[in-house]
Amino acid sequence: MLEIKDLKVSVEGKQILKGLNLTINKGEVHAIMGPNGSGKSTLASVIAGKEDYTVDSGSITFNGKDMLELSADERAKEGMFLAFQYPVEIPGVSTINFLKTAISEIRQYRGLPAMEAKDFLKMLKEKQKLVEIEANLTGRSVNEGFSGGEKKRNEIFQMAMLEPTLAILDETDSGLDIDALRIVATGVNTLRSKENAFVVITHYQRLLEYIIPDFVHVLYQGRIVKSGTRELALELEGKGYDWIKKEFSELAV
Amino acid sequence: MELATAKTNISRGALGEAEIIRNKIILNKWINDIGIRLSNTGSVAKNTQQKAEENFSAVGLPTKKTEDFKYTNIRSYLQEDYVAKNGEILVGVQNFEPSLKLRVEDFQPLLNDDFISIVLINGKYVPEYSRLKNLPEGITIKSLFKALEEGNAVAIKHFNTGLEKTTNPLAMLNTALAGDGIFISIPENFSCPIPVHIANICTGDAKSFYNPRHLVYLHKNSELTLIESYHSINQAGKTFTNSATEFIIEDNASLENYILQEEDILSQRNDVRHFAVNTGSRMNSVTISLNGGMVRNDPTVFINGENAEVHLNGLFVVKENCHTDNHTMVEHRAPNCMSNELYKGVIADNATGVFNGKILVYRDAQKTNAYQSNKNILMGDKSTINTKPQLEIYADDVRCTHGTTTGKLNEEALFYMRSRGLNEKLAKNILLQAFAKEVSNTIKNEAFRTLIEQKIEENIQ
Repeated sequence: MLEIKDLKVSVEGKQILKGLNLTINKGEVHAIMGPNGSGKSTLASVIAGKEDYTVDSGSITFNGKDMLELSADERAKEGMFLAFQYPVEIPGVSTINFLKTAISEIRQYRGLPAMEAKDFLKMLKEKQKLVEIEANLTGRSVNEGFSGGEKKRNEIFQMAMLEPTLAILDETDSGLDIDALRIVATGVNTLRSKENAFVVITHYQRLLEYIIPDFVHVLYQGRIVKSGTRELALELEGKGYDWIKKEFSELAV
Repeated sequence: MELATAKTNISRGALGEAEIIRNKIILNKWINDIGIRLSNTGSVAKNTQQKAEENFSAVGLPTKKTEDFKYTNIRSYLQEDYVAKNGEILVGVQNFEPSLKLRVEDFQPLLNDDFISIVLINGKYVPEYSRLKNLPEGITIKSLFKALEEGNAVAIKHFNTGLEKTTNPLAMLNTALAGDGIFISIPENFSCPIPVHIANICTGDAKSFYNPRHLVYLHKNSELTLIESYHSINQAGKTFTNSATEFIIEDNASLENYILQEEDILSQRNDVRHFAVNTGSRMNSVTISLNGGMVRNDPTVFINGENAEVHLNGLFVVKENCHTDNHTMVEHRAPNCMSNELYKGVIADNATGVFNGKILVYRDAQKTNAYQSNKNILMGDKSTINTKPQLEIYADDVRCTHGTTTGKLNEEALFYMRSRGLNEKLAKNILLQAFAKEVSNTIKNEAFRTLIEQKIEENIQ
């Protein structure tokens, strides 16, 4: 589904990703872990199409299409979703209207008929229940005045509404208490299917107790230096990142 | 009451004799252009206009050095060869100018049958085209000239009371040259159930110069929603309208005043307003400026009595090479009052926007709550905003804040929206609509608010 080959990315002349390879198939959940500054959020932003980065070389293909040729909104329309580490507040735009517009744009791109109002409302209610988000929150301006936990739940709610085939969760667990973490995980687990895939970017293994990954990758200094199964996450939790840093510091150029 | 300051009066040094004479010559030329002025109605107006002629001659048209006009060089818009006129008469009606191509069909769609509709052509009231069938008994709506001529006690008593001591040269000029305008009076204890809508049509010859003068009086305990819209139809060239409106809001009365400015690039407009707000009264003024070659809005609010509440809001969208200036003054002259001011600007292309807002709190105006906020979005690399918020406080027990922000559209928000499938243009549009909504939401009349939101949507793209 997603294939990243030898991806090199820099920002303001400094290379952050230094030849990254990653293959994700339908039905899989991948966790990407790594110490601060290893390039995790850059990877998420580049996949989603943020323009502040320069792709020096490499490729990102999604369902056979070259993503580097597409703008951020086209990538979303192709079925990608990024749950932001720091969701943005948009005063004056209600989450409901925002989603209505997004769904309508996505459906139009895919040549689907517009969604009936009653179907939208039905879906809205269903997904609100799923992420335990209060209706009054979705009626309010996107993320405006929301607590950290509410913002993250709103991300998962939007993900549920947009039904992406590939969702990237960028440190969705940061700043979440245990209840919010459980709600977010329940949301993801319910949406998990044979047809879609998830990339969970996290610093800690805590979230992975709730969202069981099929694969765990360690990102360090712009490369994936280790890949494994869930056990790798537990090992990291026990040993800390120093172990990785020692083992792979020779990679530093 | 003790005046806290006289500073604002001394913005320029006194002019020399030669310059004063020159000002008089220009003024006399314009007076001759007009012919009949308010002076013709009787001694009260005559004395007022004579005094204003002297006042104007002593200062002349503002220059770039005039602090209050620093960012709007009036002399580059209003030139001496402009011909002063006292409104104009329609085609089909007596004395029409052949060059005037205005037809009734042109402006009829602008009128809303649910409102009391008044048509002003170049500031002159045209009863034939106004729709007063909904007018409740007791409300007076007539030409100011007629009201003064007939000896209407309210008009005579209150004419020029607000602007008598103005330091604004253009307000003086309006008082000196005014020929006519509209007079509205709402009786005591009466709440006007339907909005009064004034449709202002700007039309006609190039280099025409109009000085309409309006007076709106709300007796004690009365309520009025006054909607004003400004349109250009078939203008032959650039015109300059220097209008002035005095509002007197007596004790416990309430005024909602909504203004839509959508004149074309040939229209240049200076809009002076003076609001006298008395004990326990309330006003909400919302100015939506969407177009016009040059627009200067210059409202002054005098809060004269306790427990009054003032809301002053504005949205200005400026494009191409246009220029919109909002120059506001809120004077807290009495204790225990609140004022809240919000002006938002969207400036695109090579356009220039100006916000210069001042709050003045007199020594006696304790327990004042005054807020002022100006937020601007610059759309283009060559778009300009000059913003200057000012607080001048002489009381010690007050709560006053002001703030201003200027920037481009939030890039993070744009990326966030795009990552959910909205293309860049749509995302920008939605952000701008949301930015504008904070102002349009302060319009209480639903029909007009809906219209404004449509207009904003058409204009912000």
